[in-house]
Amino acid sequence: MGVKLAAMILAGGKGTRLLDLTRRVAKPAVSYGGKYRIIDFPLSNCANSGINNVGVLTQYESSELNSYVGNGEKWGLNGVRSLTSVLTPKQTEEGSNWYLGTADAIYQNLDWLDRVNPTHVLILSGDHIYSCTYNAMLKRHIDTDADCTISVYEVPIEEASRFGILVTDNKGIITDFVEKPKNPISNLASMGIYIFSYKRLRSALIKDHADPKSDHDFGKNIIPTMLKEKRRMVAYNYKGYWKDVGTVASLHTANMDLLMSGNPDENIYTVLAGNKIYSEDAHSAPQYIGKKAKVSDSLINQGATVLGEVKHSVISGGTLIEEGAVVVNSVVMNGAIIEKGAKVYDAIVGVDTLVGKDMVINKDKKDIVLFVNGKAAKK
Amino acid sequence: MKGVIGFIDCHISPELGVLTNDRPLASSSFLGRYAFIDFALSNYCNSDIDNVGILVKNHQRSILKHLGNMMSWVENTKIGHETIFYNEKGILNPAYNSDINNIKQNDWVIYDTDADYLVFMPVHIIMRIDLRPILEEHILNGEDITVVYKKIENADESFEGENLFDIGKDGYVKKIYKNKGKKKIANASLSTWIISRKVLSDIVNVYHGRVDASFGMKEMIAYLLDNNIYKVKAHEFTGFARCFNSLNKYVDYSFEMLDHKKALELFNTDWPIYTCTHDTTPALYGEKATVKNSFVSNGCIVEGRVEDSILCRNVKIGKKSVIKNSIVLSNVTVSDSVNLNYVIIDKYATIHPNRTLEGKEDDVLYVPQGGKI
Repeated sequence: MGVKLAAMILAGGKGTRLLDLTRRVAKPAVSYGGKYRIIDFPLSNCANSGINNVGVLTQYESSELNSYVGNGEKWGLNGVRSLTSVLTPKQTEEGSNWYLGTADAIYQNLDWLDRVNPTHVLILSGDHIYSCTYNAMLKRHIDTDADCTISVYEVPIEEASRFGILVTDNKGIITDFVEKPKNPISNLASMGIYIFSYKRLRSALIKDHADPKSDHDFGKNIIPTMLKEKRRMVAYNYKGYWKDVGTVASLHTANMDLLMSGNPDENIYTVLAGNKIYSEDAHSAPQYIGKKAKVSDSLINQGATVLGEVKHSVISGGTLIEEGAVVVNSVVMNGAIIEKGAKVYDAIVGVDTLVGKDMVINKDKKDIVLFVNGKAAKK
Repeated sequence: MKGVIGFIDCHISPELGVLTNDRPLASSSFLGRYAFIDFALSNYCNSDIDNVGILVKNHQRSILKHLGNMMSWVENTKIGHETIFYNEKGILNPAYNSDINNIKQNDWVIYDTDADYLVFMPVHIIMRIDLRPILEEHILNGEDITVVYKKIENADESFEGENLFDIGKDGYVKKIYKNKGKKKIANASLSTWIISRKVLSDIVNVYHGRVDASFGMKEMIAYLLDNNIYKVKAHEFTGFARCFNSLNKYVDYSFEMLDHKKALELFNTDWPIYTCTHDTTPALYGEKATVKNSFVSNGCIVEGRVEDSILCRNVKIGKKSVIKNSIVLSNVTVSDSVNLNYVIIDKYATIHPNRTLEGKEDDVLYVPQGGKI
């Protein structure tokens, strides 16, 4: 049998630091880039890599996310020899079980994986923004005869203590791994993207499940244990755009990265790196820019109606920016309405939010604010 | 809706000059996002008619490409479907390539179906029409043929060549004649017909043999009326409808939609217009971009100035370029420092730097598909 790669996308996290954006919807379903939801990225990456068996593991506020993923049709993952499954916690003979950690989520779905019967399993996070294919990583995994390959990203050393940090030898074999170290000795951050040989992953998960002291987490338990057991662990150096948007400010920055100004080498086309990111089609009318509108340095989706001024901003579909309204350095999500005379500075305006007439959001322009359902979100 | 087949009649589409030289009107672009056929398909879909037959006249490839797996316009993908009706023989005999001959070639629709009612809609008349009440009336009153018309006040400059109806007090059509632009107020045919299956069967098997073999449905209905074979009920439609029958009309009606209030007559969230998705990115505007009164489609990169224009998918407008009163079809590159006024640029064309192209309001300049200027 040849190589068969199945992907498991961990999409159960709450994303607490995104405040009100994730109060009623899981973080992977949060809107991004005027058109997308964050989970479009890993799912499109799978589609573009020719991975046809994808499990999406959801838990927190999952109904909107589950309906969105559906049978994978939006990403073309519903063809012959394809299977897209939303995998939620379930009742079994042993009782009902929430997912206790990332590793436990996969453990509880070993039956799904057994049916798919892959040679390798790709573990992904549902809330990272990056556009790539996993083919080169898989090749490295196979060429180096690895038990586990971890995708790594070079981060500035001063930020390294926020990540799981790896140490490698000169051949890229991982020699050490520390989760969020106080004094990092390397700047190679784990991206939370792993390829395992399925047999090895299966036995590691079963062993981890039996350990009552374990947190059942890949970063905290599975990876350190495999290293201790002297498994062959290999690093794969990822080059390109990659963002883990954990906070309102970082989600704002990731949106602004799509614009032309700022870093001249970075806009939506470099972020997408020549790949298509598939998403839901909103069946909206074309985007209309009005007679008195001013639009510059922005990214605007179909279905938006801009009659006012938009500068350095990302505007989703179904939005209305009325005449005399001003939106600067902001993200306006689906269905939001900015009424006459309103001014929005340095903000994220949430889905279906109304910014009333002459209202001014973030006058002081100190930090990025999140404005949802008529009020600024509390931190 | 069970028991109804909706036909989309590509046979009666007029040519829009150079724009339809190498493509059918059905798959020609409108307002950047849409193909003409999307409006008829969406009218059916929103009227709960999901058994649709597309009567293709020619250029089949272009229509099939747009329809894709044909699932973008049906509610239930098992029950609903779109079927291509194609007249092989008609291609060799263009004079006889009519909608009736097409149905003759695909006559299973008459005997192998449970549909008792057949609706015909054109591609070239864009409208937002709910067919359900019209069908209901047709069925309730046991009509043979119902035609849909719109009262217009500018028949001298619109719906040219389309049929006009004289309608009696009883609501039945008295006379059908061609619009030669001689009067202003008229009842213009929307080329939308509801006929019962028995009537279609009689047309195909009996009456078509008594007339010129090149007759299509449009001529046939006039014949049936003139010879008192069937009564023809008239149903008035009062909503938005535009008849596209020349390149000038295409330009006028496209720009008409730039009037935001006018556009809302056609685009309404209660009546979505479905089309196939291309998964293109949102439109990206550069720091020096200025855009006014325009439709801009996804995939566009605008770094210059765009006014009173329509940009289709994946159009690039370079720095210091000024685009006014123009329609730019998909995948066109307009380089830096280009000036365009009253120009239609067809797909995949490239305009090199520093060029100026100027058409006139009533005579727009056309750059053909793939052209390099």
